[in-house]
Amino acid sequence: MSLSPDFAFTQGSLQDFADCARRFELRFIRRMRYPALETQEPLQFEKRMRQGARFHKLVQQHLLGVPAEALTASLADDAELAGWWRNYLARGLSGLPAQRFSEITLQTHLAGRRLVAKYDLLALEPGGPAIIVDWKTGARVPSQSHLRARMQTIVYRYVLAQAGAHLYGGESIPPERIRMDYVYVAQGAERLSFAYSAAQMGEDEAQLSAMIAAIDGAEAFPLTNEERRCRFCSYRTLCDRGGAGRLEDFDLDEYADDEEDEAFMLDFDQIAEIEF
Amino acid sequence: MADKARSPLTAAQSELVSAPLQGKIWLEGIAGGGKTSVGVARVVTLLGQGVPAESILIFVPQRSLAQPYIAALRGWTAHRGGQVSVQTIGSLSLQMVETFWFLISGDAGFKRPQDLPNFLSLELAQYFMTRAIEPLVDERDYFNSVRIDRPRLYSQIVDNMNKAALVGFPISEIGSRLKSALASGVEQAHIFDDAQTCALAFRKYCLTHNLLDFSLQLEVFRDHVWAVQPARAYLRGRFKHLIVDGVEEDNPASHFLIHELLQSCESALIIYDRDAGFRRFLGADPDSARRLRDKCERKATLDETFVMEEAVAALGAGLGAQLGLSVKAEWDVDPAPALITEAHRYHPAMVDWVARQVETLVRERDVSPNDIVIVAPFMSDALRFGLADRLTQRGIPLRSHRPSRALRDEPAARTLLTLARLAHPHWNMPPTDFDIVFALMAAIKDLDLVRAKLLTEMLYRNGRLLPFAEMRSTAMQERITFDIGERYDRLAAWIDRYIDRDRGDAIDIFFRRLYGALLSRAGFGFHDDVDAGNTAQNLVDSARGFRWSLDFMSRYDEQIDLSQDYVKMVDRGVIANFYLRDWIADAEEGLLIAPAYTFLLNNRAVDYQFWLNIGSEGWSRRLYQPLTHPYVLSRGWPPGILWTEEDERSLSRETLGRLLLALTRRCRKAVYLGYSELSESGYEQRGLLLETIQSMLRRAAREGPNV
Ligand code: SF4
Repeated sequence: MSLSPDFAFTQGSLQDFADCARRFELRFIRRMRYPALETQEPLQFEKRMRQGARFHKLVQQHLLGVPAEALTASLADDAELAGWWRNYLARGLSGLPAQRFSEITLQTHLAGRRLVAKYDLLALEPGGPAIIVDWKTGARVPSQSHLRARMQTIVYRYVLAQAGAHLYGGESIPPERIRMDYVYVAQGAERLSFAYSAAQMGEDEAQLSAMIAAIDGAEAFPLTNEERRCRFCSYRTLCDRGGAGRLEDFDLDEYADDEEDEAFMLDFDQIAEIEF
Repeated sequence: MADKARSPLTAAQSELVSAPLQGKIWLEGIAGGGKTSVGVARVVTLLGQGVPAESILIFVPQRSLAQPYIAALRGWTAHRGGQVSVQTIGSLSLQMVETFWFLISGDAGFKRPQDLPNFLSLELAQYFMTRAIEPLVDERDYFNSVRIDRPRLYSQIVDNMNKAALVGFPISEIGSRLKSALASGVEQAHIFDDAQTCALAFRKYCLTHNLLDFSLQLEVFRDHVWAVQPARAYLRGRFKHLIVDGVEEDNPASHFLIHELLQSCESALIIYDRDAGFRRFLGADPDSARRLRDKCERKATLDETFVMEEAVAALGAGLGAQLGLSVKAEWDVDPAPALITEAHRYHPAMVDWVARQVETLVRERDVSPNDIVIVAPFMSDALRFGLADRLTQRGIPLRSHRPSRALRDEPAARTLLTLARLAHPHWNMPPTDFDIVFALMAAIKDLDLVRAKLLTEMLYRNGRLLPFAEMRSTAMQERITFDIGERYDRLAAWIDRYIDRDRGDAIDIFFRRLYGALLSRAGFGFHDDVDAGNTAQNLVDSARGFRWSLDFMSRYDEQIDLSQDYVKMVDRGVIANFYLRDWIADAEEGLLIAPAYTFLLNNRAVDYQFWLNIGSEGWSRRLYQPLTHPYVLSRGWPPGILWTEEDERSLSRETLGRLLLALTRRCRKAVYLGYSELSESGYEQRGLLLETIQSMLRRAAREGPNV
């Protein structure tokens, strides 16, 4: 079994490969769904995930023209979310260029494969800065070095440099103009920023190409040696790698769930398919 | 059709593909004329010319019709930029209502406009319909003369509401439209009145609880979202290039949206398949679609078929003409070479014959199994299995497309549901012995039927699985094996512990816990099993959707035991009874076995088609739906006009005519007719298709010079 020829790599799938080749194989080659619990506190985990999703939706609604007051009024039932929202309104957009695209997906190609990035927000000014904003709703702010090494930081900047010209007045975006901001709305909208450069882009391209080539050429997908990576992996029982981890040890912001494909992300056809 | 997508385009197609970026084109023609190939190539050309992908909208009536576009876009790895949007009216309206909800929820009549909307999947719509109207139905003895089960009744009320929204009339007119066309007596009139009352009661319930079934979602989109400036500006500002394919299979609500977008877009290509519209029973309205033609500056036609050989074309036209369609029959071409048949008395003999013919095609005439399809009006499990078995024995690769089995009937789901009952004795819903046998077989690897029965007979007592040691006879234990006994014990002990701890998990969490802690482990039935994992995940999704919707309701003071109610609703066939949303494809390659309409909506051509059960009435007759009617509730049916027997007859003829035309236009070389005097269930059969074929052949012999 091998990866489908039209498979699109994302930061999530590449991070899976970086964390554990076996997980990549199970998720993307064998397409195996494995509904075991990720954590010992499934309902709290779910609540966090839903709050995060709702926050992202709120920002999207706001950026598409729904007045902030109308959105604020809808948050009476969730003080925590309302706090994130206030932080966003106070500082989330400060200093960003006026041309903004929320929930936008870009794709480029590398090593014969598609590489796709789904952005929370791109704020650009042709000839000026091109800023990637990623909202984080987790309870802690990781270290700069940890984030720098994440596939999200690598993939998002690279794809924007390669595929963002049409949002930038038709000109390629010089890497030096690109910046990636992680905004921690649960932490007063604290911002961790990562600049970009041509040299960094070259390095990233080499790393990404090597990973894609490694995946395409792989004959085996071994289990990770670092068993701590298994704590929140739903394939634990398949790999015989212990029980679920505790939510307090889990970083929700690193729980990538961006594998939906481009078309019909929300397929909601309500007309039953019936046999005639 | 997808077939031509990879072939070089003709001059006429190329000219359309490279038409100036500004301008709107109406492209019509027969199936097999290469229209979709033009659409696909046009999208790629637009992107190649630097049109931003985000500004392109591909709009289709149903997901399967977008496949050639999606495949082309995915296959074009050289693309750098954004992403093309592929939508149906369902997906687009949902996104728009959700996004702009807080601008419109008050005006749209929702009682709690500051709360979130709760979009209902089809199964949840059925569930809430049951909750909202069942007390009324019981109290007033509604529908007492209708002999179909409640879930099917309710689904027809849902269907009526969807039709009203798709066509664009108020739901308060459902009853009067049905009555004025169909009510032949007081009893019938009461039934339609009841259906009307139920629809209104359900709508009121939805507005009170912020629930949006599909009909309300569509209405809110059309009447409210489209009316607010930011929403309209967003859609109009974003989608500058439209590719609309299969517009004749879409409904008036879609046509309304396309019409609106045409006013602001820079380019459009609208593709209309003449003689199609076979999705009418789902609200398709080719006449409404045709009105968009006038909004396009350029009209083009592709009527030359790339698919059919002459005799097949003559066959399609002859059958269509025989059924009264206005197609030109080619009586100077003999259709007989395109028809191969052999009469059989019994159904299994016919299935044998089909398998032999397929084998001959593949082995002796080198036909690829990909180029063969076997269709029937309905594809029963028995027929599908009979075919699959015979073909597999002959080494023919096959794939079977059908709306998948109800989720609750999938073995993994049944097992989880049975074990859920065992683990919740306070529900007082103990599983039957039969269910336990089945669950043990599925849950414990390598446990066969005989031993599962023994375990059940000896150890399933009063709703509990006793320990293996309670089996007094060592001989019996040896027969079952201690290895299996050990795994059985782990299962029984896990359930006992769960009961003792009284966890009270939500049902979806229970499924996940059981799956992770036991069933997916080595030695158990779901271990390393992709299908079981997928089914379990689908069941979890269904149960979680149910919980989320009802959690949401709890703020409105409606308290119920969610887990028990979920399982009860599954039992009643309300939940987990719908076909899964995705079509099941056993494999990518191989001969296709599918219901006829499923094949058509995949929109691809093959060399050979086998039409089975040609004596069946199912080829032309509508499903029995006493509470609804796709034609009376369509845009074209004037309120107040009576629907007569004659209308029904001519509808049957027209439906069959369109179906046969559509099938033959997706066939290159020949049609094999599978006929047996006795049906699958042993009845004589002589339906309209059989009659039509015989008359057509007689007429061709009479009128054709060469026959
Ligand atoms: S459980 Fe561990 S080894 Fe197995 S796939 Fe997950 S991360 Fe990899």
